[in-house]
Amino acid sequence: MSERPIQPARSVAAVLLAAIWLLPLWWAVVSALRRSDTIFKYLSPLSVWTLWPRDFTLDNVAALLSGPFLKAIVTSVFVTGMTIGVGLVLCAAAAFALAVFRFRGQSVVFACLVVSFLIPFDSIAVPLSSVMRQAGLQNSYLGLILPGLGNGLAVFMLRQFFLGIPRELGEAAMMDGLGWWGIFHKIYLPLSRPALIGAGLILFVFQWQAYLWPLLIAPNPQYRVAAVAVADFIGQYDVDFGQMFAAAVLGALIPMIVLLLFQRDFSSSVASSGTKE
Amino acid sequence: MTKGRRGLGGFLADFLRGSREGWAAFLFLAPAIAMVLVLRILPSTQAIIDSVRLPNGSLGLGNFTFLLGDPGFQNSLKVTLLFALIVNPLQIALALALAVLLNDRVPAIGLWRTILLLPVAIPQSISAVIWSVIFRPDGPLNAVLGALGLPEQRFLTSVDQALFCIIVMVSWIGVGYWMTFLIAGLKDIPASLYEAATIDGASAWQQFRHVTLPQLRRPLTFVLVADTVANFLIFAPVQILTSGGPEGSTDLIMNNLYTRAFITNDAGGAAAQTLILVAVVVTIVSVQFRLMLPKEGQA
Repeated sequence: MSERPIQPARSVAAVLLAAIWLLPLWWAVVSALRRSDTIFKYLSPLSVWTLWPRDFTLDNVAALLSGPFLKAIVTSVFVTGMTIGVGLVLCAAAAFALAVFRFRGQSVVFACLVVSFLIPFDSIAVPLSSVMRQAGLQNSYLGLILPGLGNGLAVFMLRQFFLGIPRELGEAAMMDGLGWWGIFHKIYLPLSRPALIGAGLILFVFQWQAYLWPLLIAPNPQYRVAAVAVADFIGQYDVDFGQMFAAAVLGALIPMIVLLLFQRDFSSSVASSGTKE
Repeated sequence: MTKGRRGLGGFLADFLRGSREGWAAFLFLAPAIAMVLVLRILPSTQAIIDSVRLPNGSLGLGNFTFLLGDPGFQNSLKVTLLFALIVNPLQIALALALAVLLNDRVPAIGLWRTILLLPVAIPQSISAVIWSVIFRPDGPLNAVLGALGLPEQRFLTSVDQALFCIIVMVSWIGVGYWMTFLIAGLKDIPASLYEAATIDGASAWQQFRHVTLPQLRRPLTFVLVADTVANFLIFAPVQILTSGGPEGSTDLIMNNLYTRAFITNDAGGAAAQTLILVAVVVTIVSVQFRLMLPKEGQA
C-alpha cells in the first residue's frame, strides 16, 4: 500500500520541515562546541560559521563535567531508573488485576484508577508538596521518585495488551499448580514485551522531564535533577553560554537516544491507545 | 455497563466476602490504589482543607471570593483562555498537515518523522533554555530576520509578542507528538475508500475533505482533548522564558498558581486555585478516558 510512487514536492517539503525542526537543536550543539565568547559572533551576517563551530573546543564540556552538573545527570538517571523499575511492576500488576480477574465493579475501579492517574500530576503538585514536607520527604530520592510510579496511560496500555492474551493460557497454568503471581510474571509479562517497552517509555519521559516537582520537593542542590540544573544557568548573573548549551545538549541527549532506540515501539504502542475505532 | 454500576461497593463486597479472586485482585491492585490515595486523594484533601481555612483561623469561602476578585487571577484566566484558543487549533492543524504530508510517498519517511518527534523527548525546561537564547534581541532569530531584510523584533520583552513566542516554542515541542497519533489513524483508513473516491473522480482536496477528515474523527478528538490538557498546564517554558511577564502578558494559570503559592505565599488562595484547576482538568480528562475506550461491543 505504501508502494505508491514518491512525490518530489512532498519530499522537498518533508526535508525542509525536518531541517527547520532540527535547527534549534543543531545550533545548541554547535554553540556547546565553540568558545563561550564567540557564540553570538557569527550571527550577523549569517554565514556557514553560524552553523559550524569555527573555534571548535571541548572546554565547555570539560568544564561542565568537572562541576556539579554531572551529579545532576547521575541523579536523573537514578531517579528515572527507579521510577521505571518500580513503576512498571506497579502499573503492570494493576493492569493484570483489571484484565484477568472477574470481580464486581471492575470497570469502575478501572475508570477511577486511570482517570485519577490521568489527572496531570503538576496540577496537584503544590498541595502534595506540603503533604510530603510534613511527612519529611523533602530533599529525598523517595520524594522525587514517588509521583512517577502511578501512570494512567501505562496502566491503560498494559491492560489493553493483557486483554489480548487468551485466558486459557492462565487457566491451563493454574491446572499445573501455578498461582496468580506465577501466571503474572511467568506468562503475562514475558508475552508483553512491546507493551512493557511502551509503558516504560511513558514512565521514562515523565520522570526525565519533571521540572516543577523537583523544584518544589528537592530545593537542596544535592538533589538537583538535570532538567532543573540546566534551567539554573538562566538565573545566573553572568551566564556562561558555552557551558549552558553543553548542559542543555547533555540533558537532551539521553532521552533522544532512548527515543531513537525505541521509537518503533513508542509509535506503535502509544499511538494505538485511544485512536482505535 | 450494568456490571459497572455496582461500583466500588461491589468490589469491596466481593473482597470482604473473601472470594479468592477478590482477594487476589485486591493484592495486585493494592500498590496502585495506595499510590492514588497518596498522590491524588491526600493532596486534594489537603487543598480542600487549606482552601476553606482563612488567615484569621476561621472557616469559610473567603479564599475563593478573594481569588475570583483578584485582578492577577482574572488576567491569568484571560491569558490562559487566549493561549488555549490559539495554541490548540494551531497545533492540531499543524499536526494534521504533517501527518498527511508524512503518511507516504516520501523517501526515508521514518527519519523525517523521528526528527519532528525528537523535541517531545527533551525536557521542556531544556527546550526553554535553548529558545530563550534564540529569542534574545541579539539572538539567531533576529539575525535571520535581518538577513531577510526584516526589522528586528523584541520577542520575549514585548507585551504583544511574548505569548506568541511561547506558542511557537511549545508547538515546536508538541506537534510531532500529536502527529504520531494522527499517522496511526491514517493507517487505519481502508485503502478501498480512496480507491472508490478516485473512481468517482474526486480531487485530492475532495478526498481529504470527504474521506480522510471523517475517518480521522476519533483520533482527532482524542488529540484535541489530550493536547488541551497538556497545554493548560504549561509551566516550565513560562517560568524560564518570561516568568509570566512582561506585564502579565504570559501569566498562564500554572505560573500564576506557582507565584501565588511560593512568591506571594498565599497558601489559602493557592489551595482554592488548585481546586478550580483540578476540577477543570478532571472534566477534560474524563472525556479523554471515554475516548480511549474502544467503542461499545468491541472490547
